[in-house]
Amino acid sequence: GETIQGLRNSLRDAIDTLSRVDSSVAVSSGGELFLRFISLTSLEYSDYSKCKEIMIERGEIFLTKVSLSRNKIAKLCHPFIRDGARILTHAYSRVVLRVLEAAVESKKRFSVYVTESQPDQAGQVFINLVFTLVNRVKALRKLNIPVTVILDAAVGYIMEKVDLVLVGAEGVVESGGIINKIGTNQIAVCAKAQNKPFYVVAESFKFVRLFPLNQQDVPDRFKYKADTLETGQNLTEEHPWIDYTSPSLITLLFTDLGVLTPSAVSDELIKLYL
Amino acid sequence: SGELMDLIRTEGQRMTAAQPSETTVGNMVRRVLKVIREEYGRLHGRSEESDQQESLHKLLTSGGLSEDFRTPYPSLRANVIEAINEMLIELEGTTDNIAMQALEHIHSNEVIMTIGYSRTVEAFLKEAARKRKFQVIVAECAPFCQGHEMAVRLSKENIETTVMSDAAIFAVMSRVNKVIIGTKTILANGALIAVSGTHTLALAAKHHSTPLIVCAPMFKLSPQFPNEEDSFHKFVSPQEVLPFTEGEILAKINVHCPVFDYVPPELITLFISNIGGNAPSYIYRLMSELYHPDDYEL
Repeated sequence: GETIQGLRNSLRDAIDTLSRVDSSVAVSSGGELFLRFISLTSLEYSDYSKCKEIMIERGEIFLTKVSLSRNKIAKLCHPFIRDGARILTHAYSRVVLRVLEAAVESKKRFSVYVTESQPDQAGQVFINLVFTLVNRVKALRKLNIPVTVILDAAVGYIMEKVDLVLVGAEGVVESGGIINKIGTNQIAVCAKAQNKPFYVVAESFKFVRLFPLNQQDVPDRFKYKADTLETGQNLTEEHPWIDYTSPSLITLLFTDLGVLTPSAVSDELIKLYL
Repeated sequence: SGELMDLIRTEGQRMTAAQPSETTVGNMVRRVLKVIREEYGRLHGRSEESDQQESLHKLLTSGGLSEDFRTPYPSLRANVIEAINEMLIELEGTTDNIAMQALEHIHSNEVIMTIGYSRTVEAFLKEAARKRKFQVIVAECAPFCQGHEMAVRLSKENIETTVMSDAAIFAVMSRVNKVIIGTKTILANGALIAVSGTHTLALAAKHHSTPLIVCAPMFKLSPQFPNEEDSFHKFVSPQEVLPFTEGEILAKINVHCPVFDYVPPELITLFISNIGGNAPSYIYRLMSELYHPDDYEL
């Protein structure tokens, strides 16, 4: 017969397979959350088939809520973009794009600086990244927002002109810090040095049960591309794709649970994993 | 009770629109709304605070998306009135509660600095003066110079008081042990909206690593974030800055007289309120206890 335990095991396998993708932080945290609430369901209902029904139903609700979350975040965040603001952002985040759309809808004028967000690897990967970047710039240009692409190295130079920094996150860790594309930490440090607010937008399913104390503590499976991990080369010679930005550099986090200060994030995580 | 909440909300919107800088009005309306929600929830048979907030947990397990307040309960009215009375009693006792904590924070032979006139700080210092001997330096807080009144009241209690001008704040700061101030509003990120001149005081204190203590009752905590830097400013007649008798000059220049200052949370050491002492990073927690997220926008 089928059991909850069996279901849990097969779900865990599914999550592992899904997590073998590149940039797996969000996937793995979302999967972890889903797995977590299965244990909650099984505590409430002992009948297996009933359990399964409820889970499917809740899964649907979860999906709807998650798809609404981007709009919720945009609604919370766009008042923080003033008319005439100059925004700096990093890499490609769909949530940030949605926030900018919401700001445009509320008739605000602003300009955006986007970093190239280069990897320092040549070839195939480089072309992919340029493709992503061009998509980003194209998407913004459609909204008639003046966009300038800048070198990653030019962040310190451009920071004095910028009013605020807005980035997405691949994962939000327990300390209130974020895991995001490499280069985010640098931008955060520059922003702090020049007293510019550093805002992060992320959906709540990205909250991860990690507490890195430094860059080394971030697990390798998040830092490197899946192919690199599989070939089993010496990872010290590889360039990471992800860095950790500490909570002291972040001003506010905008999530679908509300506007949070970094210290409030750990509270939210505790509430979940109580 | 849904109708009751809508009524209260409309009245609240009207009142806050009349005088946006008086955030206390809006705060109290939100507290009442939270009380109603709680009482309703209690009667509805749910467990208390667990279902009130948005959380990841709720994201996964709750069935519906929001609850309606349609079901009528006869005892709801009595419960709400009782809860509101409790709140009123709490409000009346706030200054005393804050003053009671004075002895822990003020020690003998200390030099305390403050700015302007705050009844809370006055009560705080008076309570400490009953048992300890210390000095107070009051920055006069131009242009209204409320600091003068504060100094007069403090000296009546035999506290050694000195008044000085705002420009001298930085110069004197090296001799000061603690800075204790009041505030107009506390924002959701732990920042302050206080009288003009407070930011200067806070920066000077930070530079000298002097602790900055804010005495404020909980009804001043407002769930707003400082999203538009200039939106809270209130300007009054520039008569105080440059009197109209100087008409010739007035024709050629712009004179402003802002009433409030924004103080970022990094400059503040401690908040002392009627429920105890808290760090600025803890404000979000207090907010979630006092107000419901749906009421943040009245």
